[in-house]
Amino acid sequence: MVLNRPPDAGDVLQGTLDMLILRTLAMGPAHGHTIAQMIEQTSENALDVEQGSLYPALHRLEDRAWLASEWGVSENNRRAKFYRLTPKGRRELAAATGRWRRMTRAIDLILGPEIE
Amino acid sequence: MTMRRFVDRARKDEDLAAEIESHLAHEQDAQAARGVPGEEARRRARLRFGNPRTTRERVWRYRSLPWIDDAARDLRFALRSLARTPGFTIITLLVIAVGIGVNTAVFSVVDAVLLKPLTYPDPQSLVQLVLTTDRGNFPGASIPQFALWSRQTSIFAQIAASGFTPVGANLTGVDQPEQLQALHVTRDYFALFGAPVAAGRTFTAAEDSPNGGHVAVLSYGLWKQRYGGDPAIVGRTIQLDGRPYLVVGVIGRSFVTDTPIDLWVPTQFDLNSHEMVINYVVTARLRPGVTLPQANAQLRLAADQFRRTYGAHSLPPAGGFGVVSLQEEIVGNMRSPLLILLAAVGFVLLIACANVANLLLARASARRRELATRAAIGAGRGQIIRQLLMESLALSLTGGVLGLAIGFVGVRVLLRINPGNIPRIGETGSSVGLDLNILLFTLGVSVLTGILFGLIPAIVASRPNLAAILNEGSSRSGIGFRQGKIRSILVVTEIALALVLVIGAALLVRTFRKLGEVDPGFTTHNVLSMTMSISGDRFQTTAPVAQLAREGQHRVQAVPGVLAVGASNCLPLASGFGMVFDILGRPKNGPFTGGAGFYSVSSGYFSSLGIPLVRGRAFTERDDASAPGVVVISQAMARRYWPKGDPLMDRIQIGPGAGPAFAEPPRQVIGIVGDTRNGRVDQDPGPMMYIPLAQMPDGETALNSRVAPLYWLIRTRENPYNVLAPVESALREASGDLAVAHIRTMDEVEARNIARQRFNMVLMTVFGLSGLLMAAIGVYGVMSCSVQQRTQEMGVRMALGAQAADLRNLVIGQGMILAFIGVAVGLVGALGLTRFLASFLFGVKAMDPTAFVVTPLLLCAVALLAVWVPAVRATRVDPMAALRLE
Repeated sequence: MVLNRPPDAGDVLQGTLDMLILRTLAMGPAHGHTIAQMIEQTSENALDVEQGSLYPALHRLEDRAWLASEWGVSENNRRAKFYRLTPKGRRELAAATGRWRRMTRAIDLILGPEIE
Repeated sequence: MTMRRFVDRARKDEDLAAEIESHLAHEQDAQAARGVPGEEARRRARLRFGNPRTTRERVWRYRSLPWIDDAARDLRFALRSLARTPGFTIITLLVIAVGIGVNTAVFSVVDAVLLKPLTYPDPQSLVQLVLTTDRGNFPGASIPQFALWSRQTSIFAQIAASGFTPVGANLTGVDQPEQLQALHVTRDYFALFGAPVAAGRTFTAAEDSPNGGHVAVLSYGLWKQRYGGDPAIVGRTIQLDGRPYLVVGVIGRSFVTDTPIDLWVPTQFDLNSHEMVINYVVTARLRPGVTLPQANAQLRLAADQFRRTYGAHSLPPAGGFGVVSLQEEIVGNMRSPLLILLAAVGFVLLIACANVANLLLARASARRRELATRAAIGAGRGQIIRQLLMESLALSLTGGVLGLAIGFVGVRVLLRINPGNIPRIGETGSSVGLDLNILLFTLGVSVLTGILFGLIPAIVASRPNLAAILNEGSSRSGIGFRQGKIRSILVVTEIALALVLVIGAALLVRTFRKLGEVDPGFTTHNVLSMTMSISGDRFQTTAPVAQLAREGQHRVQAVPGVLAVGASNCLPLASGFGMVFDILGRPKNGPFTGGAGFYSVSSGYFSSLGIPLVRGRAFTERDDASAPGVVVISQAMARRYWPKGDPLMDRIQIGPGAGPAFAEPPRQVIGIVGDTRNGRVDQDPGPMMYIPLAQMPDGETALNSRVAPLYWLIRTRENPYNVLAPVESALREASGDLAVAHIRTMDEVEARNIARQRFNMVLMTVFGLSGLLMAAIGVYGVMSCSVQQRTQEMGVRMALGAQAADLRNLVIGQGMILAFIGVAVGLVGALGLTRFLASFLFGVKAMDPTAFVVTPLLLCAVALLAVWVPAVRATRVDPMAALRLE
């Protein structure tokens, strides 16, 4: 049990995938496959999105009106559902990023400089 | 959390499926771009994504509330299962619908009468002023009392007086003269009750003072019907009893009065009057924060002040003033009858529940293999109970909807049978309607009954011994011991409840018959009664009223078929006045010797009603204003006040100290007539005194004409309605074109007098019989089921030499044991419960031996009938066929 943890630590951990999706879409509309690929590539393949959980997350975010979606034609000339960030989603991204930064800073402070 | 999550689930799922398909295609493209060949690229894409169905299920579950889903599935299953057994479903629905329907019907009356607040603003603060006596409260007031109460401004924010009942007023000067119902009210009456003004205004202070002129406020109904809703009626005059009345306003439609009122006229009280006649009811609104006890305390002081002002005898020794809540005053005496009916109808519902539970148990035993199979493939006990409960809820809710319809029709039928002046239900029950209370009640009752009759069968049926049931070769083995016991208990309960109901019904039936046998003391058959309003200027003194009575009597007497005619200021069994009197020359120990009912009647009155003359003589036309004062008394009065001595030797002074209007010389007692019941049929006749109409003091006639019509009584040879037309025209000629109203035979007046008892009796009988029928069905169901399941046993018994009669008696014996136990339990219950009926009974005791002996016998006879059929069926078992079933 960690005492005196930042009150929003739980949210941060749970919302990581959400935050990553929002961040990815901040660069422009994309469909699910692109989002998964971009997260993987941007993280230099450190984060491998479990594709099965990507879609439940997308639907949950859309229900919260952070995302909007519409069907369109992809770069491969295939039908695909494109998601884009709503203004509400953009605000949420800023808040989530702030929470994440505070959290990692707190953890950094505890870990301190690298122990040789 | 937004609702968006739960809506449109199926379409969103399809969308997700397409999305996943698109994702796989893109992944396949990506793999292909890396040089993986077509088929392999597709395989890898699928491998990478995982099972699309799992993803879809995750999203589907996220979009669902699990218990709603489960309930919906159970409901679908329940409906399918019920549809497979239409016979069972229909019978069950009928039983439930009838049970819930009668409950809804009775509850909607209870709702309208007892539960709904009065339709006036802030009804809790409205109170009625009452005269308190040692025999209870009596709503009524004289002008001096009203004047004193009006000054109690520390407790009353508003106060208003109105006449006890509306009086007839003849609308004249129009093509069709008509008797209207006019109510005298003080100025603040409309504001007190929050009556909306549709046009014009209500009375001013000047208009509601002596000599304030003739003004009227019209009701919405009269305004619409007579004057086509024309607002220009305000400011015009209408003719009432030949006098012009200025219409100053019209009251809006939403104002509800219990008796229909056509128009209101001001009382124009002289607040300095010493007139002690109690002709008005007074209603007031308490000041905010004033409680009933505070108001009563204040009024006790007011009563003392009243005695100081008007003399020690202006109030009875134990009498005083008080207030009661207006709603309580209006519906107070309806509370216990309605609650008893509600309880009785609740019994009917309990019987229906027991019956349905029984049917469900029988059904469950036929479905044991199905339920066992479901359990075997993994359904938990909870799931099975839930599913069976869903079936019973589906039944009870459907039954509830049907019951609502039955109740809605039922309450109309109920109120058609003349419930006898139940307050607040409007004309023929028009204010009893469907509202949220009733819908909630029916819904609640439906859910409760569904659980009540569904729970036991569900618990019993979900406890199967899987191996035993699944290994059984057929369904022929008997119902399990436990289930048989439960079904027997249910049947015993039904019989016991039915017995209580039927005993209650029997008591009320006997009460009603006793009431019908009561001799009212006069002929009710072939006697017609009608009223004539004499509120006009013409009849403010005695002479013209006496003249009208004499003239009318002569003309109507001449109509062929008329045997006798009389007139009076009261109608037996319907209305009456009371008056105090002194016996001259006899010492008294109070302010006066005693009190008695007081009628002023024409010379033909006694013969028109066939009231027998016991001694002395009755009135003749010579007993007029110029003749010495005379009075005729009833036997009860003679018995009470002349236990020794001869009343015909005495003179009495009527109305000593009642005020100047009643001042008159003493009267000689000239005759004694038979007792009549002038109030309620179920009350013993009280002492009565009669004086000739022609000898009323003028002041008394003036007061009387304002508040009471002249009643005509016509005894005929045949059906009195046959001579109605000539009688009416004779009275019109005699009165100078006055209309008559309230035309009824005295048989009808008597029926109206006991309508309430009739209403209670009819309802209880209906409830009792429906309970009896359901109980019979229950006995029949259990016994025939048991016979059917014991076919094999019967066959063996027969094969071993049992005679048909033995088998029949075996079944009858088992069935009747249930009936006897039920009757025994029911008798104990009835002994405990019928005392609540005691106040509704007349001529029978709550422990009436007839009801308590005959009813159980009747119930046993019905039960015997119900077990006879299955018993006979048991004897028809073919032993060979039964044994071959093995």
